[in-house]
Amino acid sequence: MLKTPHWEMMIVWYFFLGGIAGGAYFTAAIADNFGGARDRTVARVGYLLSLPLVGLCGLLLVADLGVPLRFMNMMRTFKFWDPMSLGAWAVGVFGLFTFVSSLLSLSSSKSHAALRRKIGLVGIVFGFFLASYTGVLLSATAQPFWSEGRLMGALFLASGASTGMAAVSLILALTGGGSNPGLAKVKHADRYSMIIELVVLALFLALLGSAARPIVSGHFAPLFWGGLVALGLVVPLVLDFVGHGRKALGALAAVLVLVGGFILRYVIVMSIQS
Amino acid sequence: MARTLAMFTDTSLCIGCRACQVACKQWNELPSEQPEWTGSYQNHATFTDKTYRLVRFMEKPQPNGELAWLLMSDVCKHCAQAGCLDACPTGAIYRTEFGTVNINQDVCNGCRYCVSSCPFGVVAFNESTGTAKKCTFCNDRIHNGLGPACAKACPTESIQFGFRDELVAKATKRVEALKGMGFKQAQLYGHDTGGFLGGLNAFFLLLSKPASYNLPDNPKLPQRNVVVDSLLSIGSALAVGLGVLLAFRERGKGDANHDA
Repeated sequence: MLKTPHWEMMIVWYFFLGGIAGGAYFTAAIADNFGGARDRTVARVGYLLSLPLVGLCGLLLVADLGVPLRFMNMMRTFKFWDPMSLGAWAVGVFGLFTFVSSLLSLSSSKSHAALRRKIGLVGIVFGFFLASYTGVLLSATAQPFWSEGRLMGALFLASGASTGMAAVSLILALTGGGSNPGLAKVKHADRYSMIIELVVLALFLALLGSAARPIVSGHFAPLFWGGLVALGLVVPLVLDFVGHGRKALGALAAVLVLVGGFILRYVIVMSIQS
Repeated sequence: MARTLAMFTDTSLCIGCRACQVACKQWNELPSEQPEWTGSYQNHATFTDKTYRLVRFMEKPQPNGELAWLLMSDVCKHCAQAGCLDACPTGAIYRTEFGTVNINQDVCNGCRYCVSSCPFGVVAFNESTGTAKKCTFCNDRIHNGLGPACAKACPTESIQFGFRDELVAKATKRVEALKGMGFKQAQLYGHDTGGFLGGLNAFFLLLSKPASYNLPDNPKLPQRNVVVDSLLSIGSALAVGLGVLLAFRERGKGDANHDA
């Protein structure tokens, strides 16, 4: 009886990249405000990564519309109880934050740095929002699998954090030479996020109960258990704990986390629509 | 706001002629679609972007082993608390002064959130216009003193159109009469403004429990989840944020914290 919205790969990519953009930004802003001088690279990479990603997010959202030229119609209203309306506004506002923060991160002036930190403190809120609202959006539908878990937003946020930090760590590992204390800290924070994600995922499945069937059994189950739970969370955690310090293993773990984050969005969006 | 209008579909009177379905197509200039095999006389299986009225043919096993028809002319419920309307981010979906729910085709940009938010699977996406479509309650007709085309065409008055309060009173009498005749499971669906979704402005008289008609027993407004889920997301944000903070915090180190 229920109809699904035919949100397909563009929306899966949007959920995935929006999570990374949000996660990279709030990681950068926290590092910027509460870290030391050596963490500036982390902040810069995070800011500069979130800017193009949020731009891409906007393009994906517009392209997915039935009438793309009418995308500005989203700006006709503001519904504070409607995740889609809030989300459309948030992508725009967050985009501005990533732009200003990126610009200021290129400057070496002290006053610019102070301004950047203040802007980052406010931007953190939008980063968290972008990483999580997509989950709340799915839960505010009539589809049992999307709406009965209560923790879809929390799960997307944790996944946005883990993938955002994985992306930042991967860039740091590929570009920086020698030992980088910032990289170690991002890895440290990423481990926290992955553990939180695992806990939230377990609670989410427990709350869903039989409504979790589309991903825990059937066609999408191997991808969910093998691709996300095992390869996307457990293996990278083990790699990070046993191989700490070794760059190649860290980079491999980061790639796995990113793939897992994509699989999470893919199985959640597509399992009830195919 | 004008007095609320409603459609009352009394399934006990439906003979499955589909005059309503055809009248809807004609008035709204909806093209025909390829028929499909649904296992019964029903066509189509669900509402589509070109079928706003749909006569459902349900085969119900009787105690004596034979099958009996349950017929129901189904339509958008024009919910008093409408999930599609709350979901719409452009304001294209609006409530008319008569209490009906309509989609402004000039504003809809085809995000399809309403499609996934309808508890009854009514709203459908039209690929060629790129917009969402559903029953308009014959918005043009009711603004010109006419009832919806489906109600006009119905030869058995299974579909009745009128003021909501009057129709509910009529429906309540009818269900009592049917119970007296031995239809023990006869019941109204969506008539109660204190019930689910604040009441349906297209409500029904059913001869069996809602599930027999593939209707949800207790449809819920999708947006009910937003507050709790948002609070839990904030909880998750605090946990994650604390993790990042612990990883990056510099305690009593030599290098000044706030040097650029």
